[in-house]
Amino acid sequence: MANHNDQRPFKEDNYTHNINRNDERMLDRRGFMKTMAGAAGVFAVASLPWGAVAAKELMGLSEKEYPHHKIAAIKDIPVGESVKFDYPGDHDSALLIRLSEEKYAAYQNACTHLQCPVFWEKEEKEMICPCHHGKFDAATGAPTAGPPRRPLPEIKVRVKDGAVYAVGVKRYET
Amino acid sequence: MKRSYLGVIALCTTLLLNIVFMQLAVHQYFYENYAATLIYTVLNIMLFPLAVIIYKREKNKGGSQSDEKRNVS
Repeated sequence: MANHNDQRPFKEDNYTHNINRNDERMLDRRGFMKTMAGAAGVFAVASLPWGAVAAKELMGLSEKEYPHHKIAAIKDIPVGESVKFDYPGDHDSALLIRLSEEKYAAYQNACTHLQCPVFWEKEEKEMICPCHHGKFDAATGAPTAGPPRRPLPEIKVRVKDGAVYAVGVKRYET
Repeated sequence: MKRSYLGVIALCTTLLLNIVFMQLAVHQYFYENYAATLIYTVLNIMLFPLAVIIYKREKNKGGSQSDEKRNVS
């Protein structure tokens, strides 16, 4: 098209002669800053669900209620001995270990490797899975040797009226 | 034309902090430090109004003298 701007006054036969279409969507400084502010907003919205689930955990809304179950009387468990019991269901075998005079630890004793029953080795002070010689630390339930990589699910215990009670299960770590 | 890059740098920094806080919040959630997750979430949310304030203050900065006069009016 011939250049209209050469003529004074130029012939105004259309209203788009001053638009340079190639530059229409150029990202300038202000547009860039606007994008950055928008991205900050996206981050703010995206962090909301994380705050929500964290608040939910803090308020204990996702804690499940478990029935209290008497495991054994204190006088029946010498220090360093263990007691087998079933908790929370009748087929969830578990193990209570008296670590010291005051300290008890209980775990669901299905090995986190292939579900073999873990037993308490009194002499070695370790929990041992006989299938593949997986070993667990009795104080924390953490795996110390062998194929298992995840800790045993811990059972919360409470001492009341001369007996040990199971009161809850800590969530299984994946 | 003179340009003011202060706002650009400040907004880039806010976005970097956004990424850092997001990462920390998610990690602390999986480490079960839920209070820390909440703190980082709140920080992340507070960065958004900060970014908007920076944008509003800086959007008309820079430019030549005549440009500034035009923006003031």
